[in-house]
Amino acid sequence: MFKKKNLYTLQIIFCFMLFTGLPSFFHLSCQTAMAASPSVSVKGEYIFFMPDELLYFPLEASNFKRHGINQPLPIELCMEDSLTEETPGIDDWPENEEYDEESDWEMDLIYDPLEPVNRAFFSFNDKLYFWVLKPVSTGYNKVVPEPLRKNVRNFFYNLRMPIRGINCLLQGKIKGFGTEICRFLINTTLGVLGTADPAKILFNIEGRDEDFGQTLGFFGLGPVIYIDWPILGPSSLRDTIGYAGDMYLDPLNYIVTQNKYNLSARGYNTVNRISLKTGEYESLKKAALDPYVSLRDAYYQYRKNMIRK
Amino acid sequence: MKSAYLSGIAILFFIAAGISSASPAGELTEQIRQTTDKIISVLNDPCMKGPDKKEEKINLIRKLVYTLFDREGVSRRVLARQWRKLNDQEKKDFIFLFSKLLEQTYMDRIDNYSGQQVAYIGEKIDGKYGILKTKILSKNDKDIIVFYKAIKKNSKWLIYDVSVEGVSLVNNYRTQFQSIIMQSSYDNLIKTLKAKVNKPHSGKDNTKG
Repeated sequence: MFKKKNLYTLQIIFCFMLFTGLPSFFHLSCQTAMAASPSVSVKGEYIFFMPDELLYFPLEASNFKRHGINQPLPIELCMEDSLTEETPGIDDWPENEEYDEESDWEMDLIYDPLEPVNRAFFSFNDKLYFWVLKPVSTGYNKVVPEPLRKNVRNFFYNLRMPIRGINCLLQGKIKGFGTEICRFLINTTLGVLGTADPAKILFNIEGRDEDFGQTLGFFGLGPVIYIDWPILGPSSLRDTIGYAGDMYLDPLNYIVTQNKYNLSARGYNTVNRISLKTGEYESLKKAALDPYVSLRDAYYQYRKNMIRK
Repeated sequence: MKSAYLSGIAILFFIAAGISSASPAGELTEQIRQTTDKIISVLNDPCMKGPDKKEEKINLIRKLVYTLFDREGVSRRVLARQWRKLNDQEKKDFIFLFSKLLEQTYMDRIDNYSGQQVAYIGEKIDGKYGILKTKILSKNDKDIIVFYKAIKKNSKWLIYDVSVEGVSLVNNYRTQFQSIIMQSSYDNLIKTLKAKVNKPHSGKDNTKG
């Protein structure tokens, strides 16, 4: 009845309950939740579990270190069809020097006719980051501990479920839709309004990040042109239309209708998110010879990969 | 108490079951894993902690990383058309400078390593080219998918591109370098590269590019 993966998850839950002594009806409800979860039966997914995470077992890597053992913890991993369709093709860069120049060095670029304007907005955003957002989020960092900040981030992420779910539907990804519904149900109840992520930690159900920009891309619309919006950051014409579309699906706009409170909630979410990603933008800039081009290309490649998934 | 003891045994059993059911990894995975494990063990080594050991640690890691990468292949792909216009000395200079840039970028961050685990998901081989899929596991956040593209040279796999969540390192640098070459010249690219490499902490004041 159950596949290998389901069995493992059940075993973990079983052990977990023996440890914590949870009543058996919880066990039952977990089973039903899992039976309802479409992602558990998705073929070709791999499973792994982290005993230390699940069982509060004192197997932290740091404990090993304290005992003088430097070996990292082994990760249990079961590989089925390990490489999925999202695997990029092996490109045919010729190893010898005899290649057709024109066809082989073709560049895959995003069209950027607004470059001068975009560059101006890029340096505006850069200043905004270093002068306002970074100091604010660094201060916030010191006041609010990291687990709490992750809870806030998870809450906002969970709230945006309709955007991901509906866009899964629009692209005909029924499994993805089921996954999102399942995650929402588990995380809103067991995960206390979505602040924790038991769907991933206990059930290993990964979310599907879909948005309207990806739906448009799925149906063949290219990014058209690159736009680096002030405050909002890198985008394209397609993703800007997508963003506007997603606003209609964002529950935050229906829960918090007053403009100033809505904007404060969004601003707070941004600061919270940045506080968890301190250093990412800095390292992009550090690695780049031209940070504007680097960010533009990273955005383009990242979105292309998201659409392919 | 007894039930805790029993479940402890059960857990150990499941861990063992998990290991035995993992399918045997391929040659590419094994080669990359060996070197990566060495690097991780250097990073975790308590004898290597501390500022006085930093130089030694960096040298050790540099040696290991150099055996992992096809540095010429990376440079050739990054420069694309321009590569053929260079003479041997210029090629050598470029490889040196570009390796230095990457090293400077990533070596600074080795102190940030906090025991993240890498899961080797699988590999795909096509002739002498291969792709390795790995996942950087994190406890509360989304896992990060990293692809390594490698080429087999003298029965040894060498990496020529890394892509993180779909963003390829080679493509990103090629776009930047192409844009600089198109706007000015190759000489100017080298000048910018040299300035960047000689100025270790240029993260903040290089907004205009």
